[in-house]
Amino acid sequence: MRLLLYSLLFALPLAAQNPALMDEVVRDPNEDVYIGKKEHIAAGEQLYSVACSGCHGPEGEGGRGPNLAIGPAAQNKRPTQIHRSIKNGVPGSDMPPYGSLPEDQLWQLTAFVSSLSRPAYEMDIPGDSKAGQALFYGKMACSNCHMIRGRGGALGPDLSNAGLQNYVLQLREGVLEPNKRITPGFDPVRVITKSGDTIEGVAKNHTNYSMQLIDRHGNLHLLETRNLQEIVFLKNTWMPANLTERFSADEIQNVLAFVSRQAIRVPSPDDAGAEKESN
Amino acid sequence: MTPVLRKRATEVNHNNARTRQGSLVLLILLLIMAGSPVGAQVKYEDILKGPAENWLTYSGGYSAQRHSPLKQIDTGNVGSLVPKWAYHVEVGRRLSSVPLVYDGIMYIGNSNEVHAVDAVSGRVIWQYRQENVTGGARANRGVGLLGDKVFFVTGDCYLVALQRETGALLWTHQYADPKQGYHCTVAPFAFKDRVIVGVSGGDSGIRGYMTAHSAETGEEMWRFWTVPTKGEPGADSWGPKTLDWGGGGTWMSGSYDPELNTIYWGTGNPWPDFYGGDRPGDNLYTDSLVALDADTGKMKWYFQFTPHDVWDWDGQQFPVLLDLPYQGRQRKLVVQANRNGFYYVLDRVSGEFLHANPFVDQLTWASGVDKNGRPILVENTYPEPGGVEVCPTVRGASNFMSPSFNPGAGLLYIIALEGCDIYISSAREPVPMVGFAGTGGEKPPRNTNQFFLRALNPTTGERVWEYPMTGPTIMWAGTLSTEGGIVFFGDDDHHLVAVEAKTGEHLWHFNVGQQLFSSPITYMVNGRQYVTLVAQTDVFTFGLFEPLKSIPLVKTTREGL
Repeated sequence: MRLLLYSLLFALPLAAQNPALMDEVVRDPNEDVYIGKKEHIAAGEQLYSVACSGCHGPEGEGGRGPNLAIGPAAQNKRPTQIHRSIKNGVPGSDMPPYGSLPEDQLWQLTAFVSSLSRPAYEMDIPGDSKAGQALFYGKMACSNCHMIRGRGGALGPDLSNAGLQNYVLQLREGVLEPNKRITPGFDPVRVITKSGDTIEGVAKNHTNYSMQLIDRHGNLHLLETRNLQEIVFLKNTWMPANLTERFSADEIQNVLAFVSRQAIRVPSPDDAGAEKESN
Repeated sequence: MTPVLRKRATEVNHNNARTRQGSLVLLILLLIMAGSPVGAQVKYEDILKGPAENWLTYSGGYSAQRHSPLKQIDTGNVGSLVPKWAYHVEVGRRLSSVPLVYDGIMYIGNSNEVHAVDAVSGRVIWQYRQENVTGGARANRGVGLLGDKVFFVTGDCYLVALQRETGALLWTHQYADPKQGYHCTVAPFAFKDRVIVGVSGGDSGIRGYMTAHSAETGEEMWRFWTVPTKGEPGADSWGPKTLDWGGGGTWMSGSYDPELNTIYWGTGNPWPDFYGGDRPGDNLYTDSLVALDADTGKMKWYFQFTPHDVWDWDGQQFPVLLDLPYQGRQRKLVVQANRNGFYYVLDRVSGEFLHANPFVDQLTWASGVDKNGRPILVENTYPEPGGVEVCPTVRGASNFMSPSFNPGAGLLYIIALEGCDIYISSAREPVPMVGFAGTGGEKPPRNTNQFFLRALNPTTGERVWEYPMTGPTIMWAGTLSTEGGIVFFGDDDHHLVAVEAKTGEHLWHFNVGQQLFSSPITYMVNGRQYVTLVAQTDVFTFGLFEPLKSIPLVKTTREGL
């Protein structure tokens, strides 16, 4: 009995403190009105550029305040949580409350911030996608390492589904700061075998006993560590980190526009559901 | 042993020896590489040779004999077979696929995904998961391999081609529409320059078909309908009500005779499964074996095992192609242990019926077959509202558990289910894609059903030996034969079991602790033979015991740390 009482005492305040638990229960009807709606996202972007971009960066990439699309501040944030943070501020941080704004503007801001962590494919990124395609396969040589629907190389991730797998900011970061985050299975590596050969490429997988590696020529090596002398994980990926020096902002934007439009299967309302009986 | 176990690179990058000339060569090489496929090609000729080091198609080879020439593991040493690795499929619920192996890489299919795994270490190389699939997860029977590509089908009937060594998407092609009742589970059947796929959904009303696609582009090359349309031959074997929704799924892969250029494929049950009142006639070409011209998809002949089926006895048990003397004359045969309980021997050139006999003792729906192979029906075996006990069960006397054939022993190995069900049915308006609720089979109150591994004389159907299984009769695992004189099979109690090919004597077993829906395979990498069984949620690979030598840790550094 005492145990039960304790449980109740602890459980109630915990639920109240934990916004994630609360949000399971409370869904604001404004979500249906504002979230994912183009005109509200655009209005929110206007407000954002005035009120928020100073700290969070013009594109939500972060600065004095956190990155709003990638990283801990953006993890699993539901619209009601974003709305609450804007309205009330974040206690213990520099984020002030914006409760004086009218409710529709708060929700427009929420719609914009939410859109930062929506698939890039949905965001209709500006830029000349056609020119971007020409750059991808031509002057910028992205296709030396990246493949889209069978055209390109194997040293970087396949980008056939890049528009659905990434937010805009993730794509942008991938192009501008390729060494900041590494896609699993693409760790840049150099191994020296016991017979003295050096193989450079990306590690698809790696344990104390085996390594599966694609070398810079695109060949797959299935290695046992008993045959290796040394493994060096490299600081920099094989992706050039100086694209901004070699290409104009417009050119980079065009490539982003092209890559963000790559999708294998766009979601349909009939999706999901548990495994069904089948023969 | 060479330090780099599998190095197809023609050159290795020697950092210290790089010259300007070398850089130029490298640049040219890179330019050639860009846009061209990587890695070795799985050639049609490789698949034609049948299984050996590799396992390249669902049944190992086109004849579907599932007999491997590998004999490093034999009757003398199989007792020291030990687990080498297990691979967990994160979202696997009831893995039903047969893995394929090429050049040291294993390809495992699951609902809407493919895993490529290092076949020696069991470590994943890549995974491909298809998101946004209509209708969610379905069973998946595995992948196909050809050229630089891996093929699989999604639950909503997209045929997908991936690059073999990277898992990069090459193309997708939807070949059936879920809105028309189809879903897809089949292992793509790759040969020549093309891939054949089939459809599921026959239990709730579809018009079954199978299609051949260009391996290069996915473009459809031909389509064969298992249910004719009005005016076509065979259409008069249906009433008007169900002709457009007659079933005839094509959910298992088939076999292929390259000399005859003929595909052999089993077709599924007619719909509604357990009530035939709305489909008077034989219901062609359901529950049949169809022989199709591989180039055009035109039917050469068909043989219907269960005309006007009301017990859900799909004809999908694997057709095995055998070249054997039959009554004194060498003949090209195709044999099948059918779900209806009869074992059939046909001439695979002409489709001529040669022989049938029951391969289970419990068979009550027919007293035998006539000279054309047509069953002689026993009265009062059609399902009824109050239930009628009929043998074999709804699941059938066999099902998709793969058979195998050992040429040395001259025996065909099949999984047989002895048992009966109470079949229930009632008249109601058939509503396509909704199913036919309230009908089906139930286990009798006292369930004495039992699985057996049976070795048959392939031309007479005579039972030479059998190995009984214990268990709840819920398994779906099949058999594998090897030149080492062993039959491997999955049993009804979660075991992979090895028995002697000529006698059925027990040699070895291992409890994987999971229900089984697939059949074992064998392959060889770096001179070592392995046996793999896909279980409910994990893939288990076995090899001969070798004491492990200590592996010193490799000096590993991270630049900049």
